[in-house]
Amino acid sequence: MTGALAQSFGGCARLRKLMDLAPTICTQGLTRRFGELVAVDDVNLRVAPGQFFGFLGPNGAGKSTTIKMLTGLLAPSSGRIEILGIDLNARPVEVKRQIGVVPEGMALFGRLTGAEFLSFAGRMYGLDRVTAAKRAAELLDFMQLSDQQKKLVTDYSHGMQKKLALAAAVIHGPKVLFLDEPFEGVDAIAAGTLKSMLQGMIARGATIFLTSHVLEIVERLCSHVGIIHQGRLVAQGSLEELRAGVEAQAPAASGNGAGPSGEKLTLEQLFLRIVGGTHRTEQELSWLG
Amino acid sequence: MTRPEVSVQLTAIAELRWCMFLNGLRSRRGKTELASRIVVTATFTVAGIVGFLLAAVFAWYFVSENNAEYLAFLLWPIFFFWQLFPVMATAFTNNPDSAELLRFPLTYRSYFLIRLAYSYFDPASALGTVGLLGILLGITAARPLLFPWALLVLVTFALFNLVLMQTVFAWLERWLAQRRTREIMGVLFILAMLSFQLIGPMMGRLGRAPHPELSRAAQIAARVQTVLPPGVAASAIAQTAHLQVLRGFASLLFLWAMTLAVGILLHLRLRAQFGGENLSEAAARPAASHSKGLQVGWNLPGFSPSVAAVFEKEMRYLARSGPMLLTLIMPIFMILIFRLGPMSALHHSSSFRRTPDMVLPGAAAYALLILTNLVFNSFGGDASGIQFFYASPVTFRQIVLGKNLTHAAVLVLNTVLAWIAVSYFYGAPHLAVSVATLAGLLFATPLNFTAGNLLSLYAPKKRDFSTFGRQNVSQTTVLASFGVQIVTVGLGIAIFAIARLYQNLWIATLLFLILAAFSIPLYLLVLRRLDGIALQRQETLLTELCRA
Repeated sequence: MTGALAQSFGGCARLRKLMDLAPTICTQGLTRRFGELVAVDDVNLRVAPGQFFGFLGPNGAGKSTTIKMLTGLLAPSSGRIEILGIDLNARPVEVKRQIGVVPEGMALFGRLTGAEFLSFAGRMYGLDRVTAAKRAAELLDFMQLSDQQKKLVTDYSHGMQKKLALAAAVIHGPKVLFLDEPFEGVDAIAAGTLKSMLQGMIARGATIFLTSHVLEIVERLCSHVGIIHQGRLVAQGSLEELRAGVEAQAPAASGNGAGPSGEKLTLEQLFLRIVGGTHRTEQELSWLG
Repeated sequence: MTRPEVSVQLTAIAELRWCMFLNGLRSRRGKTELASRIVVTATFTVAGIVGFLLAAVFAWYFVSENNAEYLAFLLWPIFFFWQLFPVMATAFTNNPDSAELLRFPLTYRSYFLIRLAYSYFDPASALGTVGLLGILLGITAARPLLFPWALLVLVTFALFNLVLMQTVFAWLERWLAQRRTREIMGVLFILAMLSFQLIGPMMGRLGRAPHPELSRAAQIAARVQTVLPPGVAASAIAQTAHLQVLRGFASLLFLWAMTLAVGILLHLRLRAQFGGENLSEAAARPAASHSKGLQVGWNLPGFSPSVAAVFEKEMRYLARSGPMLLTLIMPIFMILIFRLGPMSALHHSSSFRRTPDMVLPGAAAYALLILTNLVFNSFGGDASGIQFFYASPVTFRQIVLGKNLTHAAVLVLNTVLAWIAVSYFYGAPHLAVSVATLAGLLFATPLNFTAGNLLSLYAPKKRDFSTFGRQNVSQTTVLASFGVQIVTVGLGIAIFAIARLYQNLWIATLLFLILAAFSIPLYLLVLRRLDGIALQRQETLLTELCRA
């Protein structure tokens, strides 16, 4: 079902139009093998400028591997990556200068204070000392971290570290932002701060690529979605296009493209239909209490 | 569900360790580590055999001569080795993290036993046991009838050492769990090590002339040692050998009581761990402070802003590490030791006329040696920050250059401090000595940095400051750095010996400069290739340094 679904998305007129635009993120035949395992298999991604792109998939589907390859943290086994039209493999430094990254482990230096870390990050991305210091102060204020001047990053709570990692990723004003599970372990207040900042960036023309397990957040924030399953990209497009695709495949799949009461399918329902997952209701593990 | 048995859990843990060992061999790095481990084990085995033979011969001699109380001379070194070696050589120590074990339904008894079992697989325990076996063999050869009693006493002594070792580990872990206590501990530890180094020179100085206080202190120490574990164990055997069976039995009971007391201390700590003690890293919430003025980063003339940023970051890391800061005074301390010790005795007798002048090159070499941990595992302290380096638009050669500049700055500072200290204690060194020392550093530093940079990428090891007995440097790095230091120091000694032979220190300068003409281009060549190597080693570095 999934292969046919992807094809049907490919045939979508709006998506074709979108693909005609020079994409911000573009991969061709992106593949990554770990020994026998093919973690990412022939992925062809297209993310247009200004899109808020959510990258979804079940556990172990290849989300983190893909984002690591897109940000230069992992070399692909084969395939090509272009960010802003620049070949990542050929000119990695040029690409890295224009992107911001919050990777899985947050990439922080624990023995610096927040201000020192941001100033360091700014200068590593080519800002002069004064600009880096000014932006660091602004970002700390925005993230409500400025009252922790003397605290070392290692002593920050998890949510504070997430905010600081995001601040470091945007200090140089990147055109593209890659976020791996940015809302994981973040409380509602901190999540609100992060969301408003990301939406502000989109409004100013940046492109954001994020992975998340929280489908509600992706549904609320992202204009476009890609779904990876068992290493293969099985769907990509706007939410409407995904719904249209599922509806087109509905007779072959579940016989009904709409939700149980005829309302629009939620992203969670779309996701489950596309990756072929079901909520098990029956108790199969009889030995469990 | 049935209650899991202790033996089943112990077997499961043994199997787990075996699987981890086998799985570790899948990578090239794991195989290299195994090779290093074989070399280390072979060294320990040789040391064990020598220790065994020495212990056996001396024990036989003491007991044959009816001086069994002198067995204390053998038991004290074993005791010190058993307790101090694991603390000082953590690269060879393996201790479990309580958090790894406590998620399973272990009973407290199992947990206690597992901790003890782990300590038995430590090289110090193995070598200590071999030493005790040697003593047992010597005693048995001299007085076969003493065998059962000596066995009982020595087994008790071994048990005491095992329990004490785990107690020390468990309490150290408690203090290392929080950053602030960890740093205080680090400083105290280094001060203790420094104090130990002073004992030798002080004794040597005092020993040159009769000191009634010294002999009185030695008498007191001899009396005190008889109530401490090694002395008590020796007394228990000696008293029985002298047919004072009741007194011997009382000594053994006392040794048991001490083991029990230490066991209670261990129990208190492990019980708290078992009860889910949570020692948070987070400091108390500080009072909200108003924004300070802009904190503008450092500038490093002649270098790019990114190199300056890495330099500043490394310096800040150093400044926040109490133990690391304290190591800066080590070369000066070494000069003090030499001043108190043999150098002062040789002051007038040396054929080199100004033998104290050799203190400066020695201190400079020492300053280079104490940088080993930083230079040979330079990404170890960055942990997940390594991702930042890979994601940033900065080449690895710039990052490593920033780190090496920090190391070089520390070395220069140390050498300058050493020069001042030498001037204070001995008078200003000859110009020829100062220049030869600088030339020596010009050769040795790039060589060390080259090897260190390569090993930092090829054998990285995440530094875990919060737990004790976890390896902070890979064994491959330990061996390789040891090799590099032997070559560097060996060449330095040889060159100074040649200069000494010709009574002209400028020869040393010339030879060092010739060697520097090779080591500096080698450093630059390797630095230029680091980007490629870092890319090639990317997965290994990220996997090792980012793991929880």
